[in-house]
Amino acid sequence: MKILIADDSRVMRQIVIRTLRQAGHGGHDIVEAENGREALEKVQTESPDLVLSDWNMPEMNGIDCLAALRASGSTVAFGFVTSEGSDEMRQRAESAGAAFLIAKPFTPEAFDDALRTVL
Amino acid sequence: MNVLTFFDTDAGAAEAPSVDDVQAVTEDVWLSLLGEQEVLVPRLVPPGTPFDALGVWSAVASISGGWQGVVTIELADSVARPVTAHMLDIPAGTDATDSDVADAVGELVNMIGGNIKSLMPGPSALSLPSVAAGRAVFASDLVEACRVDISWRGEPVRVCIHVPH
Repeated sequence: MKILIADDSRVMRQIVIRTLRQAGHGGHDIVEAENGREALEKVQTESPDLVLSDWNMPEMNGIDCLAALRASGSTVAFGFVTSEGSDEMRQRAESAGAAFLIAKPFTPEAFDDALRTVL
Repeated sequence: MNVLTFFDTDAGAAEAPSVDDVQAVTEDVWLSLLGEQEVLVPRLVPPGTPFDALGVWSAVASISGGWQGVVTIELADSVARPVTAHMLDIPAGTDATDSDVADAVGELVNMIGGNIKSLMPGPSALSLPSVAAGRAVFASDLVEACRVDISWRGEPVRVCIHVPH
């Protein structure tokens, strides 16, 4: 399985990768993107099975990336990993076609629970 | 140095999160990143006292919309570097670069700001973080609404919420 991690923070991408490992999902191929636009391009070129994306990013944010993916016909599984976990954000994520939203700070258990819904 | 000004002052200026809320959010973020064994200790600092570390990093994120405010974190360099090393899993004896520290401190305020935003009336938008090597300085159209002074391993950390007048 290939997972695309989109976050403008290299620190957070490393934490997400480490948390995936701690959650028992360390064996997957990982591809990284620094913003939504790069993620959009890498979905086309890398064909990931899952996108884990921050919401707030420069160039293109996560929700616009998801909208662009769905508009292009992509059905790739997409989950947010974001500091904003309000009901409003969760509803916006779900309406746009996200499978889940993991709020920061998070635990390995939260990752495992979320990933089990799409694996 | 972070110098902050902005805002449409018409909306959402009156409310502010409580000290307890800000402290709880900060502790949640801190402990999730560094581990349950890492204790944050409250510090008694008189109002109006500038952040009192020699080497300082600061990061800010603004919230605008249904509620408006600025979330700031200030950390001693002696806090920021080991926290960054822990976040990046850098081996002991290897220093985090300034770029890494800026990234990590920005992520701290992003997490704290996002959680504060979730506590306040919405819908609102959280800005991208702005990070500086130096103290945060606030424009005269902002007033401090909430401040949490804590220490980690004996070194100071401050989280502030400012709102428009």
